[in-house]
Amino acid sequence: MTLKLTKVDDLIRHEHAWVGPEDKCFFLREYTARAGYAHGETNDIISNLKKKMDRRGKPEWRWKEWAIDRVGRELRGVIGDKAMRTVTIVPMPPSKCKTDPEYDDRVLQIARIMTAGLSCDVRELVLQRESMPAAHECEEGQRPKPADYFANFYVDEDVATPVPTRILVVDDVLTAGAHFAGIKRRLLERFPEVILFGCFFARRVLPKAEDDFRGFVPDQN
Amino acid sequence: MTEDLFSQAAASADFAERAVSPMRELGAYEALWAEQGMSVKRLAELFRENPGALPSDIFADNTKALTMASTVLAMLREKGICRFGLRIHRAGEYPRRLRDAKNPVELLYFQGEWELVETPCVAVVGTRDPSDEGRRRARRLAQSLVKDGRTVVSGLAQGIDTEAHTAALEAGGRTIAVTGTPIGDCYPPENRALQNRLARDFLVISQVPVYRYAQQTPQYNRLFFPERNVTMSALTSATIIVEAGDTSGTLIQARAALEQGRKLFVLDSCFGRGLKWPEKYLERGAVRVRDYEDIRGALASDAEADES
Repeated sequence: MTLKLTKVDDLIRHEHAWVGPEDKCFFLREYTARAGYAHGETNDIISNLKKKMDRRGKPEWRWKEWAIDRVGRELRGVIGDKAMRTVTIVPMPPSKCKTDPEYDDRVLQIARIMTAGLSCDVRELVLQRESMPAAHECEEGQRPKPADYFANFYVDEDVATPVPTRILVVDDVLTAGAHFAGIKRRLLERFPEVILFGCFFARRVLPKAEDDFRGFVPDQN
Repeated sequence: MTEDLFSQAAASADFAERAVSPMRELGAYEALWAEQGMSVKRLAELFRENPGALPSDIFADNTKALTMASTVLAMLREKGICRFGLRIHRAGEYPRRLRDAKNPVELLYFQGEWELVETPCVAVVGTRDPSDEGRRRARRLAQSLVKDGRTVVSGLAQGIDTEAHTAALEAGGRTIAVTGTPIGDCYPPENRALQNRLARDFLVISQVPVYRYAQQTPQYNRLFFPERNVTMSALTSATIIVEAGDTSGTLIQARAALEQGRKLFVLDSCFGRGLKWPEKYLERGAVRVRDYEDIRGALASDAEADES
């Protein structure tokens, strides 16, 4: 059975504060953000995916590699090889810079698995000036806003040509959508004509109405 | 249209074009249900005739679908429901095991934590008018299931269902309701607080179309109750029947469980009361159990078989 992506449309957009009606954002899976415990396959994949870099070399590391592979394959399956050739795939920059010991290029790896063996345009088109705290580790109210990401992101001119016409920004999890809003603004500033899509492996659903916009991620094991 | 045509369209079209829009699918599903003569069976036939189709492929009038979706959202808001989830066949998180049902549902509404369906789920069901002993048995069973880390699934009806849900809660366990009313509606009304608690802290699932339900009389809406039993069986690995009469709606679930290849447990106490159904289902493959230990043994051997 072929699965399809789901669009962030009028029914669910309110759960992602920074995603606007004009945004073309898609996701494959959903998980309920719960503090303390989590059930289900999607939660499992995401908590493995987000294992911190200091776990590298430990036996559990293979679960991170497994999750990256799984996510890449699933996204490739739902987007389709043909469609993938029609876009420039841009991985969402991680929260840390390349020189940071916590630098985690899992999204880039996912993009590579999505396009393995295909002649696709995958570009790290957007980089960041400084490491930022991971959004899910911030105190409530202290989380970076789109303007903060926008200020920290820059277009890597070394790979800016040819000018992309359709960009698919890939990320693992859609929470409030601040990263997406930040990268969108940066990309549109540099490439005003570009058609921009966001593709996320999963979106988080908040368990209760009063938790709107708090944006938990599953526990780190 | 054949499966081939749909998959060709999927392969060639833009990924954005072929993505599922939950709002549109909700509207299309509700609009299909609003058509005269629509039933679970008829709807399933439509999807069998159109393999690979989404509700919006069958109900293609996008404007009408979106109008219907707005109507339904307004109806739900009026009932105090602002947040709920959907599961749509062919989108992510739709449970494959629902396809084991004879007339599988294409769209489900839910409130609460969807992931609970991925925990080990066992249905405890029975008559709305049980004996005192039946009530006690339902409670003991639910408590034992909770102790073993299982999730108690039932239908939020009076009698056995209510006992199963409340005993699971009292034991500190997880419980899921699969209702025969739309989300936002409750039957019986005295279970409103229980349903609200399950929706808030656990999971309430409904396949019942909101608009259609509001348009027709209770006489027709009663037909949704047996349908949810079929879905409940498909969602769970086993069904336990605590107590039921020969004409009980519970037997719909018994039949569905066997048809879907699920385990069906019938308590010993159902036998020897002059009822025909226990023997009938025993012949068809049900397992007669004296107590929870028998059930635990059978569920454990099932789990081992799954792992091997």
